[in-house]
Amino acid sequence: MEEKDLVRSSKEGDEEAFASLVKKYRVKVFNLAFSLTRDRDTADDLAQEVFIKAYFALPRFELRSEFGTWLYRITINHVRDFLRKTSRMKRLSLDEIKESSIPQEDETMKREKEKTEEQRKKIVHRAIQILPDKHQVILTLRDIQGLSYEEITKILRISPGTVDSRLHRARKLLRKKLAPFLSQKGGNHELQEG
Amino acid sequence: MNCKKVEKLILRAFDGRLHEDEKREQEQHLKQCPQCRTTQEEYKLILDTLRKEDFPEPKPYFWERLQPKLTERKKYEPWMVWKQWGMRAIPVSLLIIIFLSATLLLFSPPREEVELSQAFSQSGLLLLQNQSPLQETTALFETGGTEDKNMMLIFTSLEDKNGTRRDF
Repeated sequence: MEEKDLVRSSKEGDEEAFASLVKKYRVKVFNLAFSLTRDRDTADDLAQEVFIKAYFALPRFELRSEFGTWLYRITINHVRDFLRKTSRMKRLSLDEIKESSIPQEDETMKREKEKTEEQRKKIVHRAIQILPDKHQVILTLRDIQGLSYEEITKILRISPGTVDSRLHRARKLLRKKLAPFLSQKGGNHELQEG
Repeated sequence: MNCKKVEKLILRAFDGRLHEDEKREQEQHLKQCPQCRTTQEEYKLILDTLRKEDFPEPKPYFWERLQPKLTERKKYEPWMVWKQWGMRAIPVSLLIIIFLSATLLLFSPPREEVELSQAFSQSGLLLLQNQSPLQETTALFETGGTEDKNMMLIFTSLEDKNGTRRDF
């Protein structure tokens, strides 16, 4: 059955059709929620809530846009609401990362490299989470989820020009946040503890 | 070309959105400007880190955990309750309305008659029918004794007040 048929059947209350849509989109919805929250349990709960919301909003969905685009929009709004309510991520600062990022002297080179990689990821993601909402979302959609400009314009309902300028601003802000961690080391740039 | 514009080009290059002439300009500037080269390397490091993201798997039995929640919510969702009962009630209500309207139309008295009987008194109706309203009274005076005439006049006047007529 094609996606549009599955959506039509789901609109009429067919749970089996909706189960097929869930199967198709659960990983994408989960990944997007995870990118914004960085917590597996929270992302899983949010993904479940997104599908419940979508199921009951389906009678109002008029098939003018793609189901996936519509679902992404619901996910972003739902996760944003969650983050606003909890403000959990915003309270964390980059200093916490600094504290935990001092490598142990007796670690092997390989392990140290892995740890550095892991640490770099943590720092970059934490820096994203302290950015304003709209910059956090656009970086997540473009640079983590890898969505195209066209998809982003549809999901966020903004013009391509706005996507371009917002993304540029978001990346600049991110680099600024990471400035204390960016230092030159033997010709290569690394994110290091301060 | 200034460094601010080059920063813009560096970022657009990561999305593969540079024209050939812009690419040439950027390369030329980067050769001469160590500061912009540093900027480019820093952006590369940040974006590579973001793009190499490893996502964990969603927890197992996603649908199996979701389905009972949907069933539970359905009980309380107003739209679903409306969909279940309200949609069925629409044709039934329409049938009842049609039946009642048909009954009223078929069994109600003709509209004109009702209006005439309400608008005019008995005497008025008799005048409209080109009859004398004193016809009965005259007939009473012409027949019977004096006592009978008086009694009949009393009953006639009483019946006239009640709005009913009686044939003698």
